[in-house]
Amino acid sequence: MNDTAASHAAPASRIEISRRTALKLFTGGIAASLAGCSPPAEKNMPYVDMPEGLVPGEPQYYATALPLGGYGRGVIVKAVDGRPIKVSGNPRHPASLGSTDVFAEAALVELYDPERSRDIRGTQPINGWTDFLGELQQWSGKAKRGEAPLHLVTSTVASPTLLGQIAALKQQYPGMRWFAYDPLGDDESARSLIPRLDRASVIVSLGADPLGSGPMQIMASRAFINGRMPESPGGMSRLYAIESTWTLTGANADHRLALPPDKIDALAMEIVGRLEGHPGSPLSLEKGARHFVDQMIADLQGAGAGGLLLPGPMLREETVQAVLQSGKRRGAPLDRAAALPAQLRPEAFAAFEEALHSRKVQNLLLLDCNPAFDAAPDAKFANALKGVPFAVHAGLYDNETADLCRWQLPLSHPLEAWSDLTSADGTVAIVQPLIRPLYDTRSQHEILGFYAGQTAPSGYDAVRQTWNREPQDKGFEDWWRDALVKGVVSGRSPQFTLSAGNAEISPPASSQSPSDASAADGSFVALIQPDPTIYDGRFTNNAWLQECPKPLSKGTWTNAVSLAPEDAAALGASDGDVLAVSSSEGKIEGPLRIDKGQARGVVGLTLGYGRTDAGAIGNGLGYNPRLLSPGFQNVVPGVHVKKTDRRAPIPSTQMHFSLEGDLRKLLPEVAPGGSLPESGPKPSLFGPPQPRDPYSWAMVIDAAACTGCNACVVACQVENNVAVVGPDEVANGRAMHWLRIDSYNIGTAEEPRHGFEPVPCMQCEKAPCEPVCPVEASVHDTEGLNVQVYNRCVGTRFCQSNCPYKVRRFNWFAYNSGQEYKDLGEDPMPARNNPDVTVRARGVMEKCTYCVQRISGARRDAEKADRPIADGELKTACQEACPTRAITFGNLQDKGSKVNARRADPRHFTLLEELGTRPRTTYLARVRNANPKLAGGSA
Amino acid sequence: MSSVLLAAFEDEERLVDAIGKLREERVRIVDAFTPYPVEGLGAALGANPFPVRAAMLIGGLGTAGLCWFIEWFSAAIAFPFDSGSRPHNSWPVFPLFPFEFGVLMAGVFGLAALLWSTGLPGLNHPFFDARLSARASQDKFLLAVAMPETTDMAFRLRDRLAGLGADTVEEAEL
Amino acid sequence: MSAIVSGAEPLPPAGETAGAPQGERLTHVDTLDAVNTLVSGPLLDRRRWRRWWIAMIVASLLTILFFGSMIYLFYEGIGIFGNNSIVVWGYPIANYVWWIGIGNAGTLISSMLLLTHQHWRAAINRLAEAMTLMAVAIAGLMPIMHMGRPLYFYWLAPYPNTMALWPQWRSALIWDFWAILSYLLFSIVFWYTGLIPDLATLRDRAITPGKRIFYGALALGWRNSARHWHIYQTYYRTMAALATPLVCSVHSIVGLDFAASLMPGWQETIFPPYFVVGAMYSGFGIVVVLCAAARWGLDLESLITIRHFELMAKVMLMAGTVMFLSYATEWFSAWYSGRGVDRRFLTFEFTGAYAPLYWIMIFCNCIVVQAFWFRTVRRSLTAIVIISILINIGMWLERILIVWNTLSHHYIASMWRLFYPTLWDWLILFGSLGFFAFLYLLFARFFPVVSIHEVRELVHREAIR
Repeated sequence: MNDTAASHAAPASRIEISRRTALKLFTGGIAASLAGCSPPAEKNMPYVDMPEGLVPGEPQYYATALPLGGYGRGVIVKAVDGRPIKVSGNPRHPASLGSTDVFAEAALVELYDPERSRDIRGTQPINGWTDFLGELQQWSGKAKRGEAPLHLVTSTVASPTLLGQIAALKQQYPGMRWFAYDPLGDDESARSLIPRLDRASVIVSLGADPLGSGPMQIMASRAFINGRMPESPGGMSRLYAIESTWTLTGANADHRLALPPDKIDALAMEIVGRLEGHPGSPLSLEKGARHFVDQMIADLQGAGAGGLLLPGPMLREETVQAVLQSGKRRGAPLDRAAALPAQLRPEAFAAFEEALHSRKVQNLLLLDCNPAFDAAPDAKFANALKGVPFAVHAGLYDNETADLCRWQLPLSHPLEAWSDLTSADGTVAIVQPLIRPLYDTRSQHEILGFYAGQTAPSGYDAVRQTWNREPQDKGFEDWWRDALVKGVVSGRSPQFTLSAGNAEISPPASSQSPSDASAADGSFVALIQPDPTIYDGRFTNNAWLQECPKPLSKGTWTNAVSLAPEDAAALGASDGDVLAVSSSEGKIEGPLRIDKGQARGVVGLTLGYGRTDAGAIGNGLGYNPRLLSPGFQNVVPGVHVKKTDRRAPIPSTQMHFSLEGDLRKLLPEVAPGGSLPESGPKPSLFGPPQPRDPYSWAMVIDAAACTGCNACVVACQVENNVAVVGPDEVANGRAMHWLRIDSYNIGTAEEPRHGFEPVPCMQCEKAPCEPVCPVEASVHDTEGLNVQVYNRCVGTRFCQSNCPYKVRRFNWFAYNSGQEYKDLGEDPMPARNNPDVTVRARGVMEKCTYCVQRISGARRDAEKADRPIADGELKTACQEACPTRAITFGNLQDKGSKVNARRADPRHFTLLEELGTRPRTTYLARVRNANPKLAGGSA
Repeated sequence: MSSVLLAAFEDEERLVDAIGKLREERVRIVDAFTPYPVEGLGAALGANPFPVRAAMLIGGLGTAGLCWFIEWFSAAIAFPFDSGSRPHNSWPVFPLFPFEFGVLMAGVFGLAALLWSTGLPGLNHPFFDARLSARASQDKFLLAVAMPETTDMAFRLRDRLAGLGADTVEEAEL
Repeated sequence: MSAIVSGAEPLPPAGETAGAPQGERLTHVDTLDAVNTLVSGPLLDRRRWRRWWIAMIVASLLTILFFGSMIYLFYEGIGIFGNNSIVVWGYPIANYVWWIGIGNAGTLISSMLLLTHQHWRAAINRLAEAMTLMAVAIAGLMPIMHMGRPLYFYWLAPYPNTMALWPQWRSALIWDFWAILSYLLFSIVFWYTGLIPDLATLRDRAITPGKRIFYGALALGWRNSARHWHIYQTYYRTMAALATPLVCSVHSIVGLDFAASLMPGWQETIFPPYFVVGAMYSGFGIVVVLCAAARWGLDLESLITIRHFELMAKVMLMAGTVMFLSYATEWFSAWYSGRGVDRRFLTFEFTGAYAPLYWIMIFCNCIVVQAFWFRTVRRSLTAIVIISILINIGMWLERILIVWNTLSHHYIASMWRLFYPTLWDWLILFGSLGFFAFLYLLFARFFPVVSIHEVRELVHREAIR
C-alpha cells in the first residue's frame, strides 16, 4: 500500500499539488515512514561497546561511514527503535578520530528530507522499476552490440565495491566510457594532500585550506591542534597563511598575508627557489609584505624538515609540483590522499562534454552527481543532455540534472544502503544501513547491478563479494563481523581500491594559469571556493546546514560576494548591497560582504548556491559562481563588478565583530607559555556553595583549540531538537542555536585576525536568570545545572533580558510544533527528533543544559552498575563533535578530573567574571605563537 | 420607625445654629441631612466611625500577615528550591506582596464596615417618602427632630423651626 | 425600588431654578444648585451629544483595532512583534510602564491633594480617578499580551494546583502582578466610594424612571445623613492616606522590574523614585488633556478654570525638573562608575542607533516644560495642552528607550542587536489609546465627571469667604 500511495504521489510532486495529491503525499509519507522505521533485513552489527539486541527505547549504536566529496568518514550512528537520530564520530577511524564535521552531523536531515526522490520517474505519469528495467534491457542490448556504448558519469568514487562494479561493466560493455569529476574543481593534486600538521614546526599555507571543509578537515584540524598544544613535543607550531580570501586556515594562522592568486603563485616559486638555494628575482611586494615574506622564509629555513610548505588549489599545476618536489627533498611531513589506481582512471568531465556535444552519447547513466548544476550550468549542456535518448539519473534528489534526463532513479541514502567507502587517508570502512529504505529506492551498487544484467541485485551481496573473493573462505564471517563492529576494515584488500600515500598524479590536461590574471585593467580576479556549510551544493536543501552560520561572517542561508574594504569603497558599496559580477562567460548577482583582510582586486565567491531544483529549502538561495566559468576553473581573471541599486542584507546571527577598549577581555590572548592574572575564589554573603550531590558538572572550553568549524553547533542542534527558523527569522535575530561560536576581529589594522569563542550556557552558580523568573521555570538543580522547565515557562523572557551572556533562546513561533519553516514539519522529518529531549512549544524559553539527557542516561547506567560516573565517560554533544577536543566536561568534585586540571591551567579565565555569576563554563585563553621578528608579533 | 419633623434650611450655618438652640430647648434631634459633609455635625449627633477604623486596621494587617506566611511557607517549607543560590527564606523581598495586598484588603474591609455601620445598601427607606428628602442631596440642609406627643406642641415646634430659619417643615417617618 | 421612585420626586421650584435654558453658559457658579445643574444637567436632561458621538465612533474603531490585533496576537504568537532573541522586551513593556504611570497620577492627584487640603482638587479629582481606573486596566492587559503563553498568566498567583508549585517570590514580576492587581481593585473602591453621594444627587434629580432606577441602585440608598457623612469622611480620608503610599510603592515596583537586574542602564537605585515622579509627570499631562476635553465637551469652563491648569502646569514644571535631575544623575553615575560597560552604554545612549529618539526624549521631558516658568504660557490653554502631549510622547520614548538601549547594547559585543518594530507593535499602542478614549467617553456619558458634593462644599466655602 505504501508503494502505490507513494508512487501515485511522486509524479504529483513534480506538478502543481492539488488537495487530493497533497493528501496522497501525506498518507504516502506516513505509510513510508511507518514501514521504514525498522532495522534492515540483513544482519548488521551493533557497535561493540553497546548493548546487543534491541530493547525498545534503548538506543543502539552502529559503526558505518558517510561520504563527503566521495571520500568516507567513519561514524557511529545512534538509532532508537530503528530511527537513526544522531551521528557521531568513530574513534577507531583515522578520518574521524571520534569527531565529526557539520556535514556528518547534518546527514540525518537528508535521510528524513520530505523532498527526497521517493519513486522512479520516467516519461509516463506513473512508472515502476519494471518499466525502467524493460527499457534498460533494450539499451544494454544495443550497448553490448556496440551500437550505443554506455557512458557513465560520476563524481569522485572512493568505494572499492563501486570501482569493482565499474571495472566489471567495462568488461561487459565494449566501448563503455567512464567520466568522473569533483565539483570543487579538477586541481586534484593540490586538493588531495594530507599535511601531517602535528609533525610540522613551521607551516606556510599558500592558499591551501586544510582546516576548511572537506574530507580531510577532521584529521587536519586534530593534527594541527596537537601540534599547537603547549605540551606538544618540539614546542608549538607556527602557522603562516598566505591567501586571497579568508579561510579557516587563515583565521587560525599566527601570521597572515593577503595576496591575489597570481602573486601567491609567483611567491610560491620564489620561496621554493630560495629554499632550494637558487633564488630568482624576488617578487615585487610592498615593504610590509616583503618584510613578512623574508622573515617567514627565514623561519621556514630554520625549521628544516619541520618546515612545511603547503600549496593550495589556486596555484598552477607546475607550481604545485615544484613545491611538492622541494618538500619531498626536505622531508616535509606531507602525504598524498588516496588516489585511484592508474589502471582504472576515469576520463575528465571535459571529455564527456565533448562527446555529448558531438551527439555521440545515447546511453547515459549519471550516478549520484548533478553536472547540470555543479559542472556545466549552461543552456548548451542542458539542451545536449535533453537530446540523449536514454539518459538516466540516479540520485537522492530529483534535481536539475534529473529534470533533463529521461529517467530519475531514486537512490538510497548512505544510512539506508550497504556499501564501503575509502577515506582520504586510505582507510576503508563498511557502510551498513541503519534503517530499511524509507521509500522504493536502490543503492548505487544495486543500480549498477541492474546495468550488469542482474534482475534482483543486492548491495549487501555486492559488498560482501568485494571482500570475499575466494568462495570457500572460513575466516570471512568473523572478519566481516569484526569489520562491521569496528567500522574499520583491516587485513583484507579488495581488487580495486584507492591507494594511499604517494601515488603519482598525472597533471590534468587543462592547467589554468592565474599569472595572466592581472587586475591592471580595473577588473577583478574571482576566486571560487567551497562553501563552509553547504560545500559544493550537495547539501543545499539541508536546513540545518543552511542555518549554520558561516564561521567568519556569521551569515546564513546565502552565499556572499566578498571584497576588500578598499575595493568596496571604490564601488561605493556597503555590506548587503547587491553586486553584479560578470565574466566573459556569464553574470551573477549576490550581496556584498566587506572582508577586512581580503586581498585587493579579488572577488571571493563560494560554491553550492544558486540552485533551481534543490527543493523547497534550497531553491533560489544565493548564486552559482560556476556560471562565471563553466568547467572547473576556480580562479577567474578579468571579472567585472558593478553595484546594483538593490539591497539584500545577509541574514546574520552576529552583528558586531570588533572588540574595542576593555571589550578585549572577552577574548584574551597570550603568548606560548603565557598566563593570565590569577583570580582567587570570590567571597560570598552566603558563604561558599555547598554541593548537595556527588556531581558538580563543569565545562572548560579552550579558545586556543577552537578552529571555528561549527561541528559543535550542529551537533548541539541535532542532539537537542533545536529548531530551524529560516532566513527571515534569522534576519529578525531569532536563530535558535543553543551553542553559538562568537567570531571576533582581533589583531591590528595592518594584520587583521580572527578569534573564535564558543558560547554555550555558562550554568552560573549564582544565575541571574533564576531569581527573576516568576514561575520557577528557570531553576538550579543539585548538580549545578541551570535548567529550564519548559512546561512551566510562561514566556515573560525576564531570564533572557537579565542574562549577561545572552545564551537563552525563545520560541517566538511554534518553530518545531506547528509553525515550521517551509516543509520541515512534514513527515517523515519529525522522525529525526531525539526522543529524550522535549520538543519545545511556542512561547517558551529554551537553553543549553549540558545535554542533561545524556547526564541522566549516564547516571542510570552508573547506578545500575552501582558505581560513580567515571571521568570522560560522559560527553556532551558539542564535546563529542569537536575535532580538536577544545571542550572538556566533567565533575568538579572529582579532584582528578580533566576539567579540574584545565581549570588550574594558567590560561584559565571566566567570561565576565566581575559580575560574580560564578559560571561553571569557563575558558582557556587563546594562544598566538607570533614570530617575534614580525611587526605586531607581540601577542 | 419614629415620626419626625423635617425642617429644610437654606445653608449650613442656619442648620448648625438651629441644632445648638434646639439642644438647649431639650428638643430631641433625630438626624440631619446635608448636601455635603458638615464638619463636626456627625460627631455631634453621635456617629461612631470606630468600626471602620478597626476593620481597616485588622483587615490590612491580617491580610499582610497571611500573605507573608504564604510566602515563607511556600518558599521555605512547601516547595523549597535553588533559585540562583538565594536562600529559601529570602525575607528582604517578601514585604512587597504583603504590603500591596494588605492595603487593598484594608480598603475592602473598610468598605464593608462602612456599609455595615451605615446600614447601607438600603434602597427602601421611609425617609425617601418625605418630599424634602430629595433636596438633601441637592441644596437643602434638613433637620429631623422627634415629633412631640401632642399636636399643639407640634405646632409650637413648627413655629420655632420656622423662627430658626427653616423655609419648609414637613412631617416624615424615619 | 418603589421607595426611590416615590421618594425621588424633585420639588418643582428646585427643578425650575435648576433648568438653565439650553445653550446658555454659566460663566461662574455661586449656588449649590447651580453646581448640580451644571454637572448633572448633561447626564439627565435631553441634551445633544453630537461631539460625543463623533469622538465615540473614532474611539470605537480604534478599540476594534486593538482587540482585533490582540486576537491575532493570541492566534499567531508573539513572533508578530518586532522582538528578537536579544531585545526580548519591546512595546508591550513600554506601553505597560507608560499606562501604569498615567494610572498612578490619578490617585496621586486625588489623594495627595486631599491630604494636603488642596481644595481646588475638587474640580478635577473625579476625572483623574476615572483616568486611573482605565489606564491601570489597560496597563494590566499589556503584560499578558507580552507573555509567550498568555493563557497561563494566572500561574503568577499562589493557588493550590496539581503541580504543587507556587510563585517564585523573588521575581520582580510577581511583585508587579500583585501591585497592578491591588492597585486596580483599590482604585475601583476608592473611585466608587467617592461617587456614592453624587449618584444619590443624580437619583434625586433624574426625571425618567429608568435613570432613577439606574442611579438609585448604584447610590445604595445614600441619604446624606450627617451621621453617615461622618463615617464616610473617616473612611474616605483613610483610603486617601493609604492610597498615597500604595501608588508610590506600585510604581517603585515597576521601577524594580528593571532595577532588580544586573544589566547596564537598569541596575540603578535611582529607578524607583524617578519612576514615581515620571508617573506623576505623564499622569498630570494626561489629566490636563482630559480636563481640557471635558471642559470643552461638557461646558465646564466655570468649574475647571484656567487656575486649575496653571496649578497643574506648576506641578509638571516641578516634575519635569526632577526628571532632568534624575537623568543627569544617571549619566553621572554611569560615568563615575568607571565601568567600561556603563560608559559604553552612556555613549550608545547619546550617539548610538537610538540617539535621535533619546534627544527627542530629553527635549520633550526636560526642555519643553521649562516654558512653564512664564506665567503667560501657564495661562494659555493651548500651550499647556500641547506641552502636555509632548511630555507624554517623551515619557513613552523614555520607557521604550530604557528597554531598547539596555537590551541592544549590553556586555557581550557579539550579541548586540537592534529592535525593529512591526505593524502590530504600532496597532497595539494606538489601539490601546483608542480603547482608553472609548472607556473614558462611556464614563463621561453616564457619570458626573466632577465630584458634585465636593464642589458644593467648595462653592459654599468660597461663598463665605
